[in-house]
Amino acid sequence: MSLSNKIEEWMKEAEERPESAVTIVRLIARRLRELTERDEELLAENIALQNGTRVEEYQKRIAHLEYQLELIKRRFGVDEGTLVELPAQPVEESTPNLLVYNAQGRIFRIELNSDAKELGRITSDMSNDHEPPRILAVPSNEEALLLYTSGRVSAYKVSDIPLIELGGAWERSQAALPDEPRAGELLACITPFSHLPLSDFFLQISRRGCAKKTMTSLAQSILGNHYIGKGALQKSDQPFDLMLSRKQDRAVFATYEGKVIAFDVDDLSYAIEERIKLSATDYVIASFITRADDSLLFVTQTGKVIHRDSKSIETSKSSTAKGQALIPPSRLEQGVRFMGAASVQDSDSVAVLDATGRLQILGADSLTGSGSIAAEAWILSIGLIQTDNSLAKVANLRKVGESS
Amino acid sequence: MSLKVGIDFGTSNSGVAVYDGGRVRVLPVDPKNVLPEVIKTVLYITKDYRAYLGQEAVETYYRDNVNRQRRYVKQWAGEIEYRGADLFYMRDIFVYVDELKPGRLLQYLKTALRKDNYKGTQIFERYYSVGDLAQTYLSLLKKRAEDVLGETIHAVTLGRPVKFSESPELDSKAQETLREAAHEAGFKEVDFELEPIAAALDYEQSISQPQNVVIFDFGGGTLDIAVMRLGDAKSRQVYASGGVDIAGSDFDRAIIEKRMLQHFGFGKVKHHPEIMQMIEAVPDWMALPEMGTPINKNILDKAIQAKVAPVRLKALEHLIYNDLAFTFYNRVEAGKIALSNDGATVITLEDKEISLWELYTRSQFESDIYHYLVDVEKVLLDTIAKSGLDVEQIDAVVKTGGSSNIPLFTGMLGRLFGAEKVKESNAFSSVVAGLAIKAFNHSSLVE
Repeated sequence: MSLSNKIEEWMKEAEERPESAVTIVRLIARRLRELTERDEELLAENIALQNGTRVEEYQKRIAHLEYQLELIKRRFGVDEGTLVELPAQPVEESTPNLLVYNAQGRIFRIELNSDAKELGRITSDMSNDHEPPRILAVPSNEEALLLYTSGRVSAYKVSDIPLIELGGAWERSQAALPDEPRAGELLACITPFSHLPLSDFFLQISRRGCAKKTMTSLAQSILGNHYIGKGALQKSDQPFDLMLSRKQDRAVFATYEGKVIAFDVDDLSYAIEERIKLSATDYVIASFITRADDSLLFVTQTGKVIHRDSKSIETSKSSTAKGQALIPPSRLEQGVRFMGAASVQDSDSVAVLDATGRLQILGADSLTGSGSIAAEAWILSIGLIQTDNSLAKVANLRKVGESS
Repeated sequence: MSLKVGIDFGTSNSGVAVYDGGRVRVLPVDPKNVLPEVIKTVLYITKDYRAYLGQEAVETYYRDNVNRQRRYVKQWAGEIEYRGADLFYMRDIFVYVDELKPGRLLQYLKTALRKDNYKGTQIFERYYSVGDLAQTYLSLLKKRAEDVLGETIHAVTLGRPVKFSESPELDSKAQETLREAAHEAGFKEVDFELEPIAAALDYEQSISQPQNVVIFDFGGGTLDIAVMRLGDAKSRQVYASGGVDIAGSDFDRAIIEKRMLQHFGFGKVKHHPEIMQMIEAVPDWMALPEMGTPINKNILDKAIQAKVAPVRLKALEHLIYNDLAFTFYNRVEAGKIALSNDGATVITLEDKEISLWELYTRSQFESDIYHYLVDVEKVLLDTIAKSGLDVEQIDAVVKTGGSSNIPLFTGMLGRLFGAEKVKESNAFSSVVAGLAIKAFNHSSLVE
């Protein structure tokens, strides 16, 4: 039926029941508005097609996919010749590893044993200008992305970093130095990134609580140029963490003075944005992605563990939020500070480094149960070891604090 | 005393009610529905043979199916014997099965009872006869009612249309299938009452004087008419009853055939018989899911590539291959219902590849279903003539069932009997209320 016939029929209805005319006009007006909006979208699309930006976008997307394929091939040790026989290829065996690294780029790689609770002891001071070492659990076949405070990045296979013996006493000189920081820069963090193809964004967090998201489709350019940027608004600020996230993820960060804030990754703009208003002496000490059924652990320098449900942390939409305070003012005055935080499940484990250099593994359920960490001295750093670690679904944990 | 309930096993909606001698209580068997006393006659059976009904079935279906991934595999379905004068050979038959399909949604279960050519359906590895489907639905409904009441239900009075089918054999076969299904669902005693008579029992509660009443029960599957003397239980009498297979689902079909098919390529596609067959299957809720084969997808893709009505065929492909048929039928039905109150409505279906928008007016709807009005009026007058009464002798016309609210038919009743004689009743609960009264009276009589 042609449109003119339809219009005749609508007119007939309006003649038979004049009150229908108002409804018909309203419905047509609504449709007109929808069509106008759609027309505008199509015109914009047409312009993008004509001036070639759409072509460029697809070229970038293809390049990104090719890069992701390359990454996967590297991870599973597949070359072009064997790709056709992919199902028959043995997958590189993965073992859970722990990286303990400091700002000077020195990295201890320890192979975890399911029975070992006491991993060993770092006998020399790994801290750098009051910045304690950080801990990251990764599978041995993971790709690690090193982010420096200048905004520079470099990628390494975890398996390329030499192993040290479990249960020993380790000297600073035994630590590997795969890529020494250049003049004026420090190692900000190490990020596992083999699950790049499954992620939507790089999410950067700065010391002063700025967040910046970058589409993973730009990964090729970032890695090609070895540069992702500082992700900080002020000159004095510097990058603290880099993680991969998906659109629907919820990110949390905790600060030294006990403030916690959560926000939806999808709500972030692509520009650098300050997500929390911090006091002059405060800074971010942990950031992570959390799931609805996770528990959040916050650890003070004395080993006290504060436990909250992930849901109890309100999601902030505002960029001027001050965050939820988890340390009461009276305790703050007494000098209580957060050293680390993590989003855990009961089956997970936590690696703990104290000021004597002792590195031990504790069950997350035992921490939530007892409410404290039994350590010989102040806690310097903690690192989450997820139960599905071997699947490269690794949480990156950051802990920094004053040394005792 | 064993507990006995009335169940209205309707084509579109069902309900359960219980009567205690003073008050009818229609049970809230579907808490997720807008009206908890009304439950959609919809059954969803998952791959692991878990069954859901009502709103829960619809929600589970949407959650599991819409825009899901598909993977077709070739499965052996049987073999065909070829016999000729001097040859005999056998050939294997294969079908393409979507191995990722999470479940099957089944509706119009009551219509299936009276279809001669529909014996049942294969759901994954199991074959469900029409009786099995009715039994599955009734046993879940019984369980829901028992949960509400907190006690076991032993017996039921089931409603049935005046005629399941024009053919007496099919009519009695449908009732026996339903009886057997109810027994297998766990009801020890099962009896039936005609749906219009059940509606009359409910109406009788509201009158004080004996009256000649026409019950006009116009639901989703059939029109049932009863001419009765009501008002006094002793002199209650059914003068005549009649019915016809015209109802809400036919009107939905008429809307789709006349107004919707053009959005899926009807009129634009001329020389592609396979595609024409797919378009013509759109109004048929039983045939449309069967169209979703890889071969048909290939045909549609080729036609789209060749620019044969590409936008409309893409919409058709999306309708078939993204499990949007149920949403589509619901939108059409919602549009039809809206026209009972408004002069115009819009039927829309927006999805990735579909942008269907149709402004539909009441006068268009009335012209689309006008031929049904002629048939309905004829059946009504025939039934009254069969009763031996004149139209003037009718004191009231009680309309029940969702389709009875369509202004075209309300107008027809007003024209024939006078608008003041046309009485409204609760479109969805008057039949089930009457069935509960019948169940109570019957069980009291037995005891």
